[in-house]
Amino acid sequence: MWNYIVRRLLYNIPVYLGIILLLMALLRVGAADPAYTFLGKNAEPGDLERIRQQLGLDKPFLVQYFHFLWDVLTLNFEQESWGRPGRTVGEMLSTAYIPTLMITVPGLMITATISICVALISAFNRGRFADRILMVAAVVGMSVSFLVYIIVGQYYGAFQLKEWVGTEVFAIEGFDMEKNGFISGWLTYCALPVIISVIVAMGYDTRFYRAVMVEESTKDYMVTAKAKGAGRRKVMFVHMLKNAMIPIITRIMTTLPFLIVGSVLLEYYFNIPGMGNRLLGAIADKDFPVIQTFTAIFAVVFILSNILTDVLYALVDPRVRLQ
Amino acid sequence: MWKISRSVVVRALALATTLSLAPQSAAALPTDPGPNGKDLKVVQLPLRSDAPKTIDPGRGSTTYDNRACSMVYDTLLQYSYLKRDPFVLEPALLTKMPTPSEDGLTWSFELKPGVVFQDNECFPGGKGRELVSEDVFYSWKRQADDRTKAKSWWLYKDTIVGFDAFREEQNAAEKAGTGFNYDAPVAGMKVIDDHHFQVVLTEPVYRFIWLLAMFQTSVVPREAVEHYGTRFSRNPVGTGPYMLDEWTDLGMSFVRNPTYREEYFPTDLQDGDEEIVADLSKGKRLPIIDRVEYTFYKKDQPMWLRFEEGTLGYTQVPAENYETAFNRRTKKLNSSYKRRGIVSADVPLLDFIFRQFNMQDELLGGYTPEKIALRKAIILATDFDEFNSSFYNDKNIVYDGMIPPGLDGHPNNEEHRAGPEYRGKNIALAKEYLAKAGYPNGAGLPAINYYVANSANSPEQADLTMRQLGEIGIELNVRMMDFSSLIEACDNKKAQFFSFAWSSDYPDAENNLALFYGPNQSPGSNHANYENEEFDRLYEQTRSMQPSDERTEIYLRMRDMVLDHAAFAGSMARTRSYLIQPWLRNFKPTEQFYNWVKYLDVEESLRE
Repeated sequence: MWNYIVRRLLYNIPVYLGIILLLMALLRVGAADPAYTFLGKNAEPGDLERIRQQLGLDKPFLVQYFHFLWDVLTLNFEQESWGRPGRTVGEMLSTAYIPTLMITVPGLMITATISICVALISAFNRGRFADRILMVAAVVGMSVSFLVYIIVGQYYGAFQLKEWVGTEVFAIEGFDMEKNGFISGWLTYCALPVIISVIVAMGYDTRFYRAVMVEESTKDYMVTAKAKGAGRRKVMFVHMLKNAMIPIITRIMTTLPFLIVGSVLLEYYFNIPGMGNRLLGAIADKDFPVIQTFTAIFAVVFILSNILTDVLYALVDPRVRLQ
Repeated sequence: MWKISRSVVVRALALATTLSLAPQSAAALPTDPGPNGKDLKVVQLPLRSDAPKTIDPGRGSTTYDNRACSMVYDTLLQYSYLKRDPFVLEPALLTKMPTPSEDGLTWSFELKPGVVFQDNECFPGGKGRELVSEDVFYSWKRQADDRTKAKSWWLYKDTIVGFDAFREEQNAAEKAGTGFNYDAPVAGMKVIDDHHFQVVLTEPVYRFIWLLAMFQTSVVPREAVEHYGTRFSRNPVGTGPYMLDEWTDLGMSFVRNPTYREEYFPTDLQDGDEEIVADLSKGKRLPIIDRVEYTFYKKDQPMWLRFEEGTLGYTQVPAENYETAFNRRTKKLNSSYKRRGIVSADVPLLDFIFRQFNMQDELLGGYTPEKIALRKAIILATDFDEFNSSFYNDKNIVYDGMIPPGLDGHPNNEEHRAGPEYRGKNIALAKEYLAKAGYPNGAGLPAINYYVANSANSPEQADLTMRQLGEIGIELNVRMMDFSSLIEACDNKKAQFFSFAWSSDYPDAENNLALFYGPNQSPGSNHANYENEEFDRLYEQTRSMQPSDERTEIYLRMRDMVLDHAAFAGSMARTRSYLIQPWLRNFKPTEQFYNWVKYLDVEESLRE
């Protein structure tokens, strides 16, 4: 297995270098010149050239490319942000990923758990009333815009709830983990965004997992298990779930890298100082150091999660061999 | 190899430490009650749309930078808080208004004695020292230093004798390796003693007096700049009413500066001020509030709900909440708010919202009768009143020309018109002009590229523009982009026709007329790339004129020249509506200056 992992890592080095190359080229060719962004409405021709020099954009592209690669390789994230003077890229990113993960990780775990359970029930009762109700609910859930969930959720779940009960249950916005301790802070500031993200994701996930379970439920081993007298719960949670794990793992693992990106809308509305918020700000500011560093980190996480997915396949399904 | 590995390990550990601790704030400062009361007075205020990028007056340029800098730093002059029509300047760091020589070229200044910088580790023993004349010139020279990455050199350019040459020489010296010498003399900057100095101007430019109240000209101590280096942007040390306590991604908080200079709440109340000024505040020492907490809101709903629950002291009224707060027909505050003691205030902005033509564009540019006719057709087909009612609840002022309401040169009649021929909607006349331009009913006219910055309702506004121009047969290609891409397209003279807005930096029409001054062509602020020798001559002439009927007359001539050449379609000035909690006292909203927080007071007994 270790051979396989090392080999996959080596294969991915050129892919990684290509991603960075492509990103840096796109930023420099496709995006607006950061010097214009930097100077605003009162620029002068001389100023533009001066700012380009100060930002290092006057250097040949390959020099910029290798300089950045070296920074990534040596974990040097000390470059000053272009959009937020006085802050380093490392500070900008390090302060953003924890708030994001505090929303996305519980969101993923809760969504996956509930969706899989609902999908199991739905698949086991395929065509019956319970299945139909659950699927109608899933389709309705999918059809409503994420933005509507956020606006309505924030209004009723935070503002109106406080009016009704007379005390703040969920905060309208903010992120303060120090004031009343971590648990209380998480419940006040993160729970509502998590609930909203779970509701939004459940519709999609439930339908997907149900389709997987339904397919599994028609397989011969299910008939055999039932014929052998296995109980309903055992058939569902041992036989069917285990065999459905490959697509489930695939779905969860493909979501994994995106956990660090976060949700821009949730972070904007609930004032969560997360990665989505930060990244969009960096894009608006044409803050190349932040965008590049974030992408470099994201690409590493993406590659590693792909490799991990393959390893997990082998662990859950003995028929899969890592070669 | 070992060196690299060790460095990597050290950095990884440092990164991991940073990640786990995630520090975002400076050390907490003492928050003892101020001299005005026993209880600590705290207020929470919103910063809508965005956060400041820096609290360094040398590097800042945005409204948000202005708001943050105005808390910590002082300028030589400041806007008189209660006087709005017209705006009036008064001394801040000075003992009296600066006095010009007879020829208007030499200005003499006297600093207030005993003004000290906030206590900070950059000073020996951590004790802030007295602000002296050299500090003023040092702060201004930072704008000339390329290493500062200043964005506001345009304020000083061609203004002070020898300053432009100083900038060139010192930056050249820096490049050559001999270093930027802040102590090198500038002919127009004369230190007489610690509290007296003179400035010699290249010409007696009237706007100079307004620059002295702009946050970019605030005074910073050299020790702090040198001590903090690039981190000075986030470690401000000024003489202002507040000190930065904490700056996170969500907001920033300030605490009262215990060494703030002696300043008192103004006693010269204007009409209507009695209602907003708390009796107890009159003559009180500033700042009144001990702690100010700002929250940044990128979305309006959380800001609105925080105001509704009584947390925020005031809010701007977002367009989508307008009808919740006001009766759309009468524009009066709804009774449910009145019952809670909430009051509203309308703030007219010195705004110039317009659609601009690139006068160097092959299709739309040029000064021949046909080209002018084509642009006039577009202007006359554009109905700004419809934009006002569709997107701004009819709260804006639609006017002709580039001079906003409240400034000399604005068409002062009720209709805000320069003349009926300058503004749409007049479809019949627009079609006539289009025919004169050689495109009857738009036949043969290629689609025009219309550049728009992507914001809240800009797609809908672009749709309306398309529909309005479509009425005379003109087709638009809408190019929606982020603001920086729009700036780049304008700076490169690639944008053919574009939507733009200008908020006056200071309340003088000269600031708006500069948008059509030839030497300011792109990438400068003249994005129309308008060229008119007579206009330029008059602009240069008025720069040194004091406000007078004669100057206003020239402003009108200049305005009409641009209107006759049809260099833009316009105009509109926004009126911002505010709601204010009953417990927030002394708040007289303005968006022209931002050092007003020091005047605010809170009446705790009125808080729910």
